[in-house]
Order: sequence, then C-alpha cells, then structure tokens
Amino acid sequence: MILGLDAGSRTVAEAEHLLHEMAESLGLPAGTVGCTHFVRTTGLAHVACSLSVPTATGRDADTASAGGAGTAPAGGTRTDSADGAGAAPAGVVDLGALPAHLGAALGDARTGPGDLAEGAALAAAAHAAGSSGRLVLFPGRDALTGTLTTAEVLARSAVERVVVLGRTEDPAPDAPLATNDFVRPQWRDGRIVLLAMPAAGGMLMPAEVPNPTPCCADHG
Amino acid sequence: MGHGHDHPHEHSHAHPHDHSHGAEHAGQGDLAPVVDLSVPDAELSPGELSRRQMFRRAGLLGAGLTAAGVLGTQGAAAAATQRTRTSTEPRDGYLWLAGDHHIHTQHSSDGMYKVSDQVRHGNAYGLDWMVITDHGSVAHAKIGVDKVNPDIVATRKAVKDTLVFQGLEWNIPAAEHGTVFVAPGRNEVATLKEFENSFDGSVKGATAGTPQNEALAIAGLNFLADAVRRRRVEDALFLANHPARKGLDAPHEIRGWRDAQPSIAVGMEGAPGHQAAGIAKPNGAGSGRGFYDNSPSADSFAAYPPESYKTFGGFDWMTATVGGLWDSLLAEGKSWWITANSDSHTVYLDTSDRGPGGNLDTDGRYNDPIYKGVPNTSNGDFWPGYYSKTHVGSREFSYTAVMDGIRQGRVWVDHGGLITALVVRARQTGTGQRGVTLGDTLHVRKSAKVEIAIEITLANQPNWAQFIPALARVDVIQGEVTGPVSDKDVFTTPATKVVKSFEVKKNTGTVTFTYQVGAVDRPVYVRLRGTDGNRGAVGLLGASVDPAGPAIDVFGDADPWKDLWFYSNPIWIAPRG
Repeated sequence: MILGLDAGSRTVAEAEHLLHEMAESLGLPAGTVGCTHFVRTTGLAHVACSLSVPTATGRDADTASAGGAGTAPAGGTRTDSADGAGAAPAGVVDLGALPAHLGAALGDARTGPGDLAEGAALAAAAHAAGSSGRLVLFPGRDALTGTLTTAEVLARSAVERVVVLGRTEDPAPDAPLATNDFVRPQWRDGRIVLLAMPAAGGMLMPAEVPNPTPCCADHG
Repeated sequence: MGHGHDHPHEHSHAHPHDHSHGAEHAGQGDLAPVVDLSVPDAELSPGELSRRQMFRRAGLLGAGLTAAGVLGTQGAAAAATQRTRTSTEPRDGYLWLAGDHHIHTQHSSDGMYKVSDQVRHGNAYGLDWMVITDHGSVAHAKIGVDKVNPDIVATRKAVKDTLVFQGLEWNIPAAEHGTVFVAPGRNEVATLKEFENSFDGSVKGATAGTPQNEALAIAGLNFLADAVRRRRVEDALFLANHPARKGLDAPHEIRGWRDAQPSIAVGMEGAPGHQAAGIAKPNGAGSGRGFYDNSPSADSFAAYPPESYKTFGGFDWMTATVGGLWDSLLAEGKSWWITANSDSHTVYLDTSDRGPGGNLDTDGRYNDPIYKGVPNTSNGDFWPGYYSKTHVGSREFSYTAVMDGIRQGRVWVDHGGLITALVVRARQTGTGQRGVTLGDTLHVRKSAKVEIAIEITLANQPNWAQFIPALARVDVIQGEVTGPVSDKDVFTTPATKVVKSFEVKKNTGTVTFTYQVGAVDRPVYVRLRGTDGNRGAVGLLGASVDPAGPAIDVFGDADPWKDLWFYSNPIWIAPRG
C-alpha cells in the first residue's frame, strides 16, 4: 500500500527529511519506495511525500514491483492483489499514531489537517499510479554511488530507464554516469526513470544537481 | 540624427492582433513627435499632447529643441566626437549602443564591487549603457537604494561615454528576478525606493506562487507605469531575468506582466549571465552554464519540462527552443524582446575579494573590495561587456533613447563578440523601399512579396579572449502570427521553425544575405540566429523545426568561448485586408 504524508513542506529538502524520519520511525524495511511530490491544495504549493508500506497481511506488493524492472507499476499491482489492500486501510501503519500536525492518507483513510490530508492523498495516488513523483528511497539506492554505466544503474537498482535531456534515444548501456552519490529518479508513465544530462569528462550525470546554487547566492 | 529611416514613430506596438494598452504609453519614451512641430497637436496621443503642453508651459518648445537637448545627458554630436567605438557610427539610421541591464555591486548580499569598478570595466569592454541592479531586499530598500545613488551619479561624471542607469533586481512577487530601471532624474531614487518597499517579493514576503502575490507583481508594474504617466520619472522598464532558471516564471505570469503594462514590461533575458559558471574544474566553477543548476520546486510551473532548467548554447530554454515559449508570445503578436547580460557579481579569475568587516544589513553595503592576490576560479561571472552584449538601436546617445530602443525591440544580442554589427530590413521585394528593422512591423498589401535583407559586419577583431570569432552560419526563423491564445500557460507554437540557413564563407569584412519570405497572405514574423558552428543539436521540438540548434550545455564543462551565438529580435510582416 502507499501511505501519503504531508507536513506542508515548502522545500524538497524538508520533505526528504520527513521521508527519512517517517521511514525510520515506522520501521519500514529495506526496499521501501519513498517519494516527494509537488502538490497544490488549498494553501501554498508545497511538497508532500509517499511511502510504500506493508499491508496488514505483510505482503508488500509495491516494493516487489518497484524492485523488478519492467513489471507493472505499483498501482497496477495493488489493484490486482488478492487481499484488496485499498479497502483495508488498517495495515501495520496506524494513522492514529502519526503526529497530529501531519496530514496522512492510506487507502480511503485520512488523518490530520484537511488540506494536508488532501495533499497526502494526492501524493499517494500519484505514487500508486506511477504518474509522478520523485523517488528518494528505492531498492538499490545505496548501490548507486561513484561512476557507473547506465547498464549498472539499471541492474543495481529499481531504476528502469535512463533518459538524457535533449536526446530522443536512450544512452548506450556502457555510457558512464557520474552519480554524484545523489540519484533521484522519477515516476513516468508507471516506470522509474532517471533523468540524466551531459557532464564533464564525456559522462552523464543525473539532471538533478545535489547542491544547487541558492537563490541570491553568494558565488564568491 | 538617426531620423533617416522612413517611419520612425508610427510602429509602437502596432503588431497584429495586439492593441492592448500599448498605444498610449508606448510613445512616452519617444519625444520626437512631441517636439516636432510639423506634427499637429491633433495627431498626438493624449500622453504626447500633455507632454507637449508641459514643454510649452516651460517655454522649451521651438527652435533648437530636440529630444537630446532636453533629455540627453550629452548631445549626440558631442558623443560622436568624444567616442571612438563602432557603436558611435550610425548603422541603418541608429546608434547601436551595447549594454547590460543586469549588474550587481557591493550593495547586493552576494556582490562585492564598487559601482565604479563595474562601470569602468564595462566601459573598457565596450559598453555604452549599463544598469546597476542590486538585489531587492530589506537592507537595500532601507539603505542601499539611497547609498548607491551618489556612487552612480559620481560615476556618470567620471565615465562620460557610458550611460549608467540606476535600477534594482526586483524579486518579482510569485516569480523570478527581474530588472527594473528608470531614466535618471530628480525622482529616480524615490521612485525606485517606493517601488521596492511596496512591491519587492523579498521585502514584502511575497515570493510564494500565490494568486495574491501574482497580483502584487502586476500592481508593481502598474506603479511604474503610473510614475511615468505622472512624469515622476521620465521612463521605466522591466525585463525578466534568467526566466527559466527555476521554473518560477509561469507562462501566464509572463503574459500577465506584458499585457498589464506593455510599455513597461518589455522582455526577458534571452541569455542569462554567469556565463563562466560552466568552465570545467579545476580552472572554473564546474557548475551549470549561467549557474543553471536548479531543479523544480513547489513553486515551479509544473508543466515545464526538465530541459527548461538548463541552458542551450548559453541561452535560456525559453529563447533557445525554436517554437518554444518566446515564439509562442511572438506568434500571438506580442512584443516581447530578449537581451543578454552579465549578471556580474564576482568575476571569474578576479584577484580581489569582498571588503572585510562591515555589515550589509546595517550599512546597506559591503566595504570596498580588497586585493587578495589569488584568482578566484569558482566565480562564474564576466565583467559587464566582456562576454555578453545587448545591442540597442538608439536614435541618439541618451538615456531615454536607449530605453526607447529597448521598448521598440530594436535589439540584438551576442556572446563573445561573435559579430560586430547586424542590420536587418524587412521590405517589399522590388519596390526599393527601405523597409523596417528589428522590433518593427512591415505593413504590406495582401500577397505582396517580402524579403529580409541581412547585413552582418563580422567580428574582424579579437574579442576579450583574444581571438577573432568566426561566424559559421545564420539561421532565419519564421513563425506565423496566429493571435491571442486562450490558454495563457501555452509555451509552444506549432508554426515556427528554421526556414533558411546561410553558410558564412568568409572570415572578414561584411556578409549580406537576402531571405525571400515570398508572398505574404497571413501575418508572420522573422527572427535571426547565428552560430560559430562549434556545437549544435537537433532542437527540442524536432529536426523539422530546428535541425541544428544550440546543444544543451555540458554540466561542469561548458567553455563559453567555444560556443558562441547571436540572436536578433523579430520583425513582423502584416498584410492588410
């Protein structure tokens, strides 16, 4: 199942922090998929989160799906699952135990402030459908360090495709990719896609740069 | 001088399908009809008439009065004798004055140079006009905006052949940064200060992308227009800076600014500054060219593609994409012009350092810079004029003439001194007409044949990297004017593409090309782009649109001197009937 969370974070960094914190406090297993999502509800545009969580029966369809390249998106898997996870929000995650300031959504259940619960639901739905969202936690994440070939990125992690900005063709399997130890793929049409761009040394690197120049930066 | 062209005044915002607000205000920076007594009162717009009456009351109207005499800091004739640059030589009836509207000083939290440091460098590197644009902030609004003015005034006196405007880098509410500047005058500081205190996104805590903040941005532009209308300042302009850098300038916001005040909100940076930021480590910052290294945030316009956060041949995605956002505005018939600037804060390989001690928040500025003796390789900027130039066809050497030239779109931009001069004329084929130039509209009868005459003076002399750039190719980009869009967030247009490419087969002197538009049945526009041919790629909208456009810049290895482009603003061709 997909748990949506929304603390009204205004930045991606804050949302990532929340993701890590919640994954730890919920005791989620390795292979959990955690994403950030830009949402617009009644208040300010902000960043909500989603986490794949075990269902009541202990099955973790989403994690299994995300871990295998070319399989159906998480949402599809969930719909097919025999235990009807969507109808049974009472999984191992107890929404009532979450911090009160947090909006949360699991299946049809909602907790927390209304607009944040709505943001959480939007995040969970996007994750479940594989339509949008940026993956912070995913199977193989910790193996994506240093410089790898694109084939290695696909083999080691849940990333299913590498797409290079401005190019229509996929990169060669042996194309080197400097991970910068910071890889944040995205959901695109149900698949986990890493956006890359040309980098120094004839390599590729993720299109998302780890420490972007802040607005009104001191470049000195 | 500069009046040899055929109809210098009638074209203000006379673009097809667009008559919103522009007509009355557009002429306010252009005094010629106001002071030209052969133009009867009845033919003046209400704004022009009130200005003529003001001059009458002041006893100024009549013999000897010219726009330069009233408004210019120095007469054009004096300028021509004192100045030795190519820009002092009129081309196609205009002085093409090179400038930069995006420059920071020690009055910015991330700046360090004195006004005179920037202006003396900009002057040496060939700039005729510069705008000092320190960041809007609480400290700047309270102290800096006042403190910078005497420095600017002193520098105007010391460096006579470069016009120095006071402006600010506005934190546009709900959006990115933008240049706001005014013509010098008694109220320039008061006007800028009131503007910043009332409408700066940072000062007002209005940076988030909310409808309320978007409305505050429009209110700011309305304030500027009102200041001009009430003669509080002679003129004011706004241009959006690094518009696609963080995805904050949504298409509907850009359209909103422009449509609210088309005589104030006139364009955007086609190319951002920080052009040295992509130079590879260890010699350079090894960042994204233009410091374009951002990713979407919550306030970003969600539909912008990931490519929009990058530069292409040093240009912002909105401009570099043929058939993209800029073209979608031009295809509406909207006047919206591009510029290229330094965004100079801290200069690549400069050996100075920010002055120690002091407190920006309480002093409004950093202490004067000191010599450090160590070239700073992580700085990503060039001195103003060193690499990026915005060339403005001006009727004379004066503040208001530069502003008017920008407003009219008589502007082309280049990097690295790729070319020296560009003269473009759209004219009816075979009639012997002079036709119209950049930013203007050629009106022809339906089905008349039209051609674009292009004359390019090649570099012919070394740039500031000490080599003579070689122009390899010139592309003609043409689009159909299809009128206003219903979806204000559209950022593509289907009928714009590269229609002709001319190979440049010589390295010195002047090259001329003629592009035959052919019989014009529907309104179209044409713009130009040129390249050194070093880097290229199929455009983002496909080879049928742009087979050899600018390539995405390599992150951490983008030598700006090895990837040079020029861009012109468009000319419209409007058939009657």
